[in-house]
Amino acid sequence: MSWIRVDAAAVCVAAAWLASGCREPEMTKGEEPPKTAVAVPIDSATAARNASLEPGVLATVQAVPVERWKGPGDRPFEVARRSAAPEAGHSRQFGTITLPIALRTRTAAISQYPCTSCHLGRKVVMANKRIGDAHNNIQPVHPDQTGAVCSTCHSADDVALLTLKSGERATLDESYRLCAQCHFPEAKAWAGGAHGKRLDGWQGRRVVMACADCHDPHKPGVEVRIPFRAPQLERTRSKVP
Amino acid sequence: MSDAPASDVPAAETPDQAGGRSVLDKRVDRRGALGMLLGGVVMGTQALGACAPLSAETDEAREIKLLAWREYIKGNYRFMTEGERADTIARLERLAQLQRGVDVTIQSTGAQPGVQFGYAFNISKCKGYRRCVEACINENNLDREAATQYIRIFEMEDGVLDLDEADATFQHEVPAEGHFYLGTQCFQCADPPCVKVCPVGATWQEPDGITVIDYDWCIGCRYCMAACPYWARRFNWSQPEVPREEVNPNQHYLGNRARKKGVVEKCTFCIHRSRQGRLPACAEACPTGARVFGNLLDPDSEIRWVLAHKRIFRLKEDLKTEPRFWYFTD
Repeated sequence: MSWIRVDAAAVCVAAAWLASGCREPEMTKGEEPPKTAVAVPIDSATAARNASLEPGVLATVQAVPVERWKGPGDRPFEVARRSAAPEAGHSRQFGTITLPIALRTRTAAISQYPCTSCHLGRKVVMANKRIGDAHNNIQPVHPDQTGAVCSTCHSADDVALLTLKSGERATLDESYRLCAQCHFPEAKAWAGGAHGKRLDGWQGRRVVMACADCHDPHKPGVEVRIPFRAPQLERTRSKVP
Repeated sequence: MSDAPASDVPAAETPDQAGGRSVLDKRVDRRGALGMLLGGVVMGTQALGACAPLSAETDEAREIKLLAWREYIKGNYRFMTEGERADTIARLERLAQLQRGVDVTIQSTGAQPGVQFGYAFNISKCKGYRRCVEACINENNLDREAATQYIRIFEMEDGVLDLDEADATFQHEVPAEGHFYLGTQCFQCADPPCVKVCPVGATWQEPDGITVIDYDWCIGCRYCMAACPYWARRFNWSQPEVPREEVNPNQHYLGNRARKKGVVEKCTFCIHRSRQGRLPACAEACPTGARVFGNLLDPDSEIRWVLAHKRIFRLKEDLKTEPRFWYFTD
């Protein structure tokens, strides 16, 4: 894909728009808008935004409504998005290839993102052995006892999607639907508000974090850290000496 | 004391009584008269100082003196009119600018109607990282010199909920094997013993359930600290020090504004944040989601869901202080 072609296409569209009396082109029924992967150059602002993203930090709290789940009092709630819809400026370049992919706020923490940087055909290629696999760093600890493989959660046809037990596919933003298939007590507490984390204050819109924002699906478990400094006051125990 | 009605004008007096307290034929209360008289003395001295050619006092120093004086004679926050509140906030903001070189905004936001704040803490989730403590220090301008902390995280062995034997000073990699963690702070009791014992009415419970302190009315007797069964209050043995660049400029009169030496302070559920619909800093900073904050009067709030669906308990419930802070497990 070359920039010249893109520019030429843009000029054509602009010319057609002018010719049609500056009106929006009308779609005939049943005809879908053409899906062309338009390569968008990364402007300096986007580059700066990408560079400033810290690993593990949600840079934005764009949210999407949670479908088929209800919060306390049957009230709807939203889940913080991990990926934004592809839009102008949100693209990444690999060599000569520019992919119109979403800017993911936590991509800096995911070393091999986006999947399509390797999985060009978007297919998951399953090998019998995982020796020499590009995903050696992923230890199969999470679905260890269940005998699950990559395609248990990831859609074999499209690496950017997840697959549910019903065969339905879900985006990475809807990871909670995948997790809830087994972890239903947690899912119930999450919807109710006892599990997970609310982001947008206690009032108004309820925006929560999704499962994978805290729990790395490939490396479950609790991280051991050094705590913030201990209190230095004399009376730090409830018992008076 | 705590139930004293808010009044903007002094109680009605007979003309005779008023005559004894009038200054320039203007009716004022005792405190106001004192302020005017002594204020005149201060101003007169300053005027003399201004005339003296050798005086090194700058305009700024004079302004600080005057503002500090006006601050000294102001009333209790609860009994101030809206205008008086605006005046004192303007003075405090100007003083912060002059004395410390920081531009702060001090709110006087009142309680939202129909709101009672409640807190729930998941002892299954807390891992003892103390990120809440860090956030609290930064948010509430806590004294860095004395290392004041409102929140304590207790480390206990699995299966033993005994705060007497718990360790709040742990400093090792967490979570430790076979241990769990429980955090305490001010529980904003519905029947607060600390408020009852205050001899000057410097601490009271707000309509949304937050117990606050007027730092300029507190005399530092520390009765409230003795009365609190949870050790939720902290005393400033010296002037609290916060580096200029670390001062949180978003402040509330009853919350995280600059305190002074010899006054008591405490957690206010981040009154400057929670009254604007935001989460307290500790709840926002918690990386494990162990902290749930919300409105107890809203049946559809998360805190109500937790209280209805989880195994909950409170600390020292037998004292009947009715803390608005619950602990729960997964």
